[in-house]
Amino acid sequence: MKKKVLAVLLAGVMTAGMLAGCGGAAAPAADAGDAAQATEEAAGDEAVAEEAPEAEGEEAAADLGGVSEDPNTLTVAAWDANFNIPALEAAAEAFKTKNPDFKLEINTVSGSQDVENAVTNAASAGDYSTLPDIVLFQDHYIQQYVTNYPDAWQDLEGAGINWDDFGAEKLSYSTIEGKHYGAPVDNGTAIFAYRTDILEECGYTIDDVTGITWDKWLEIGRTVKEKTGKYLLSMDHSGDDLPYMFMQAEGLSQWKDGKPDLVGNETYQKILQVIVDGANDGVILLCNSWSEYTDESIVGDQVAGVMNGNWIIPTIKQVEENKGKWALTTIPTLSGAEGYAANGGSSLYITANCAKADLAKEFLAYTFGGGEGSMETYDNALKNGGVITCCISAGKSSVYQEPDEYFNGQPIYADIVEMGAHVPVVEQNDFHYNLRTAIGTAITNATTAGGGADLATEIQTAQDDIDRQMSL
Amino acid sequence: MTERKSSAIQRRLIPSYIFLVIVSFFSVFPIFWMITAATNNTVDIARGKIWFGNQAVTNFKALLEAASSQGAGTSLGRFLGNSFIYAASQTILCIFLCSLAGYGFELYHDRYKDKLFGVLLMAMMVPQVATLIPLFTMMSKLGFLNTIPGFMLPAISTPFMIMMFRQNSRNFPVQIMEAARIDGESEWKIFFTMYMPIMRSTYAAAAVITFMNAWNAYMWPRAVMTKNSAQTMQILLTNLSNGYVIDYGLLMMAVLFCSAPTMIIFFVMQRQFAEGITGAVK
Amino acid sequence: MRKKGKSVTGKQQTAGWAFLAPASLLIFIMSFYPMVMAFITSLKTGSGVKLKWGDPLFINYIKNIPADKTFIRSMGNTFLYLIIEVPVMLILAIILAQILNNPDIRFKGIFRTMVFMPCAVSLVSYSLIFRSLFAREGLVNSVLSGMGLISENINWLGSTGTARAVIIIGLIWRWTGYNMVFYLAGLQNIDYQVYEAAKIDGANGWKTFWRITVPLLKPVIVMTAIMSINGTLQLFDESVNLTNGGPANTSITMSHYIWNEAFGQGVGHFGYASAMSFVIFIMVAILAAINLKVGDTRD
Repeated sequence: MKKKVLAVLLAGVMTAGMLAGCGGAAAPAADAGDAAQATEEAAGDEAVAEEAPEAEGEEAAADLGGVSEDPNTLTVAAWDANFNIPALEAAAEAFKTKNPDFKLEINTVSGSQDVENAVTNAASAGDYSTLPDIVLFQDHYIQQYVTNYPDAWQDLEGAGINWDDFGAEKLSYSTIEGKHYGAPVDNGTAIFAYRTDILEECGYTIDDVTGITWDKWLEIGRTVKEKTGKYLLSMDHSGDDLPYMFMQAEGLSQWKDGKPDLVGNETYQKILQVIVDGANDGVILLCNSWSEYTDESIVGDQVAGVMNGNWIIPTIKQVEENKGKWALTTIPTLSGAEGYAANGGSSLYITANCAKADLAKEFLAYTFGGGEGSMETYDNALKNGGVITCCISAGKSSVYQEPDEYFNGQPIYADIVEMGAHVPVVEQNDFHYNLRTAIGTAITNATTAGGGADLATEIQTAQDDIDRQMSL
Repeated sequence: MTERKSSAIQRRLIPSYIFLVIVSFFSVFPIFWMITAATNNTVDIARGKIWFGNQAVTNFKALLEAASSQGAGTSLGRFLGNSFIYAASQTILCIFLCSLAGYGFELYHDRYKDKLFGVLLMAMMVPQVATLIPLFTMMSKLGFLNTIPGFMLPAISTPFMIMMFRQNSRNFPVQIMEAARIDGESEWKIFFTMYMPIMRSTYAAAAVITFMNAWNAYMWPRAVMTKNSAQTMQILLTNLSNGYVIDYGLLMMAVLFCSAPTMIIFFVMQRQFAEGITGAVK
Repeated sequence: MRKKGKSVTGKQQTAGWAFLAPASLLIFIMSFYPMVMAFITSLKTGSGVKLKWGDPLFINYIKNIPADKTFIRSMGNTFLYLIIEVPVMLILAIILAQILNNPDIRFKGIFRTMVFMPCAVSLVSYSLIFRSLFAREGLVNSVLSGMGLISENINWLGSTGTARAVIIIGLIWRWTGYNMVFYLAGLQNIDYQVYEAAKIDGANGWKTFWRITVPLLKPVIVMTAIMSINGTLQLFDESVNLTNGGPANTSITMSHYIWNEAFGQGVGHFGYASAMSFVIFIMVAILAAINLKVGDTRD
């Protein structure tokens, strides 16, 4: 009996291997129908491999691994099926008005890290043919990737995009040495959303939390915690963007002339103290992971306020019971002026492997770049993916003016586009995430739960660590 | 009489049974929870629901859809198929090459071969992160990106497998080898007609281990499989676990699909597996 | 059993080399050659494709690594996992094997299968499962508070001690069954009558365990110990998927940190990352050598 089982298994395995060995791989059981195609491309053997990957047929074109031969097809690598990808689909649809034969092949990756690694690997191997025509790339990293791998990109000069139609802050990421490289997709403008019902319960209104100082905000937070047990804010502390956003709201950066500006920066110390105090007093919940942040603190109804890039809105809306109870406003600051910040967001970049740069530029300019198709693109991107534009003219469409029932009739999208125009441009740096990690560590150590270390000492440690990393 | 004796023995073994039951419970519980979670929605999973829900079909449909929207030519079947073909090819070649080597190292052993074996063992200690970029560059130059050779070449010859076959070969009856030689059989024929059938339980154990490793591989496939239509279940799983909004019901369904094949293979092969390992540690 | 190849002729010698050549060559090409390349890279500094030779050449080893507190901490973490996890897991595995080797135990197959089952779950999958189980509002906390053992939910992954504990629990869960199979196999090769004889001599369970089981299993123990030490020193998936190295990098492992330096944070310090991975290589090699020596001298 057992011999039989083994024999059958081995035979099955051998057959699969044999098929693989003579011209292609066996087709996945589930779609035996296109077995023939699958054998061509699923995973070739030596014979297939001898040809360069891009020499394979049209079928195999749409992926991180190359471009298509069809003159009207572009390939793009992107992530997040509920956010960026609907936006790309909307753009592809819009561009068909101009070019009916146009096809956009979208290849899903798990996150920007996959695109970054693909560029790194391709550059290390000196062969960019594995890259698609266009990649989605996150804003914080792109400067460094253009600097480190200059051959991997094609700039967008001459694409006919009216750059004045975009928020200056967004463009500051993708403009490198005076040249525009990226076509902006989403608007990372930060929002501060509050549960008006909870605020009311504690005797406050949305106006009481608008344009206030952080001290006043902490005071309100303590009251809310005491009366309702809810936190006024939560954040994924494994990638804590609060210091960055708080600083930007002050109009400042954590960087100065390419160096970390932490030690001796009084504003910075005050900002971090707000976070530490908030965490100690039960006003701010520092979560351990993205899933704790979104699924437990926000969807799990533990918070009375959410502050992040506006892409967090779909997460807030997951809780059906809280419809009509939210309102959004600006960020507190140390002085009590209304603060504006941005977080997250990405743009589209044309790679060196794109032989149809003219088509790619035309496509990007027509859709995301504020051209004729931009209203259609951004309207559908908003409806299907919750992607909010940073293109000022596209934000004037009627879809953006519609009141949002979830936010008690507030026209939040128009408000966000408006807020986006106020976000101050602050200095960016390649080591943004290294600094984020180092400061996250400093905050953890300074909270009571983390041992209550001296904040100034922790900031010094963080700065030393960044200096060390930058010198490697 | 004997019955009473055996019941007395069983009574003395009660602590052992209790221990076994506790360990088994903790071993199986997370797997059980994985299965029930695949039938619940995100909110229930986040609230720590233990029992089965009614979302299985919804989650499965969502998984099918999410898998086929990964790029052109992708589907759940494609990812499962890729994983299976890569793992199966790697398994066959690996157990063939490593058994050849183990056989050569043990049954023809001399001072030089033992030395060489010692050197090869050092490869076990090479950290994967260190070799990733050089290997990628190599595969890219050879044109092996997105191909079966690209997937398996770095893993079809492992010191551990060679060692396992080398140890097991000690149980191979040398006399029949010598008898065969007297009969004028070639060395290769001895390997194919005698060694392979006799060592089948070792092959089974080696196949189970290799298949599991290949099926579960993540770091290297992520680098070498740049095309979505060539990627594996593990990559699909991580693609699904990233994003601003994550559907945990769907994700747990994917986890289930990722784990079921290796669990089934182990179930089917467990006796051969145990026998093969027994030979290896003699 | 082992016969020295006295009668092996020249022709057979050639056959022997032919048998082991393909696999050996592959190891040289796929492991040693990239390792040499990585060593050359480890002498460089800078990021991305803009790497330049270190000045002095070994700057990564003599200056950068010793100054890197996070790497030192990741090393401390990895060794902490090693020191706690490996012995606990191996002892648990031997005890389980010992119990399951008793001919009087019933339902052996079922128990063995259940204990081995975790091993069939992929690393990515089990990390996701454990992360959900140990989340702040997760199942473990609701069970504990349901039983009245805790009054407030424990932030398992949010404090250094418990985050490390979760990684260790995860490792023990995933790998105990795997090691048990090796011990079980080793015990099959020991005649059970040895135990019967010991029992007649009045040795209790604990004594027979240390006096008979452990010495007889020594070769297997050395093998599993080397495998576990190697696996733990290269620990990656658990750190990435379970705790993401947090909180504040206090549970990060060496491999995870190297990955971050090379790929994870956008700044590709390939030279520095290669240097750190060479440190791991050397440590594993030293530990394996010690292990083999210890295993040898008592023989």
